[in-house]
Amino acid sequence: MKALLAILKREFLAYFFSPLAYVVLTAFLFINGYVFYAILLSLNSPETPRQELMALFFKNVFYWIFMMLVSSIVAMRLVSEERKSGSIEALLTAPVGEGTVIAGKFLGGLTFFLFLWLPTVLYPVALSRYGTIDFGPIAASYLGIALFGALFLAAGTFASALTKNQIIAAIVSFVMILALFLAGVFRELVTDPKLREGLGYLNLIEHMDDFARGLVDTRRVVYVVSAVVFFLFLATKALQGNKGK
Amino acid sequence: MLEVDALRKSFYGTLAVDDVSFRVESGEILGFLGPNGAGKTTTMRMITGFLEPNAGRVTVDGVDAAKKPREARARIGYLPETLALYPEMRVREYVRFRAELCGVPRRETKARVDDALATCFVDDVASKPIGNLSKGYRQRVGLAAALVHAPQVLVLDEPTVGLDPRQIVKVRDLIRDLKKDHTILLSTHILPEVELVCDRVVIIDRGKIVATGTPETLRQQLTQAPGLAVAIQGEVPDADGILRKLPGVVRAARIGAGGETRVLLEAERGADLREAVFRECVARGWTLLELAPRQATLEDVFVRLLATREAEHGPGGEGLPTAVEETGSGEARS
Repeated sequence: MKALLAILKREFLAYFFSPLAYVVLTAFLFINGYVFYAILLSLNSPETPRQELMALFFKNVFYWIFMMLVSSIVAMRLVSEERKSGSIEALLTAPVGEGTVIAGKFLGGLTFFLFLWLPTVLYPVALSRYGTIDFGPIAASYLGIALFGALFLAAGTFASALTKNQIIAAIVSFVMILALFLAGVFRELVTDPKLREGLGYLNLIEHMDDFARGLVDTRRVVYVVSAVVFFLFLATKALQGNKGK
Repeated sequence: MLEVDALRKSFYGTLAVDDVSFRVESGEILGFLGPNGAGKTTTMRMITGFLEPNAGRVTVDGVDAAKKPREARARIGYLPETLALYPEMRVREYVRFRAELCGVPRRETKARVDDALATCFVDDVASKPIGNLSKGYRQRVGLAAALVHAPQVLVLDEPTVGLDPRQIVKVRDLIRDLKKDHTILLSTHILPEVELVCDRVVIIDRGKIVATGTPETLRQQLTQAPGLAVAIQGEVPDADGILRKLPGVVRAARIGAGGETRVLLEAERGADLREAVFRECVARGWTLLELAPRQATLEDVFVRLLATREAEHGPGGEGLPTAVEETGSGEARS
């Protein structure tokens, strides 16, 4: 447990010593601010039907592109960097299990990912000065962000454990995340009702729609958590596999 | 304290370590000597659990490393050859991180970290980022990190490689000092290091152990009796031929000129040639300038050892083990 926290802390802090973190942070705030402003502008025009602003913020296409891209970039260095530099040798010869190493790194990445979202909490707070805001759906939306962030980062951690090259890790991770995402979207192309239902469970857009409406469905939570555990298990195996060579 | 039993490891069909066994007793420094690419790093990586052996067993303080890997690793402090630390971390931060990683109890952490920093003489740079340190300092930070959890065994892979002469002396002093509390396995391809630091030596070549013993016994076993270096004033062209005929001389070689004649004599085991050489010189009216015993060094042992193996197995294409520079020959790396 202590080792896990030590790794988590190191991984989280390490982001702030690389220029990448600041580039991601800036780009993130810029795009999110821009999207928020655009939605605000469109809702202001009288012909737009009345909608919940924050719900739109968490459901738009930019949200998904950003989620996928940012989590790939956040996760890519987690294991690759240390395998490239060789510091993984000192880490893996410490009396900690490979599972703990992976979990600590993953949680460090997730903490940084959530940190990126922190400034966006100001948006609903700012809105609440000009009208009444229902904070229930917003809290559920942030839970959704945390869950999907965890899912994507877990896939990214696995990709990072496969290679010494961070760029390759980012690409593999993006492809895996995109495949996960599209599996749900493909439902629209399928006619078989059984398969349609099955793929429906994987439909992340629907998951997020629910969260944005304030609906927390335990099935969705269970799906994401088990997928996270699965990817972290694969990452651990990948790390152990390197012991043979 | 540390027992290595019939370790074997191959990479993609090439045998890198073949049936390597040795023991390191409590409180001793064992030198693990071999040319580049002999399998030292691979063996050490198997001992520390970074690589899984194909066969064989590692026991640390009675703990089987394959059955209880974490317990075994907790007893080992490891300084890898390619020492990569986190450059962004400060020295104290890093050593503290290692302490937390290795499960040092929270109340003891600060004292242990301070202790490790002081032992390795890096307390003066404790608040500097590791990336800004010189190689010598980084090496000692790595050492501090390796011993912060008070392991019984230290495994040091080429601890002095890439350091300048003053730093080398410092690190060697430090290692000798660490012997008080730790059992040490140290690998090197630098011969004087073994003679200066180690109690016992294991020589490895091409994945196999070729000799074991103290530096002393190895020297005695594997070289002829010590020879003599003789210097005579003036040019004496046939000096070697004459001295060769003295009883007890196995070989004589004449070198150099420039106003004096130097002859190197190799004697039979146990023979003392000094008196005979002196009398011969006097009898011939030569002025004897110098008469010095030639101690065979471990270097001679090494060269001889590898030369015999070469003759048996054919050339292996490795550089001479005395070369201080990395030859870049393919030491197995993951």
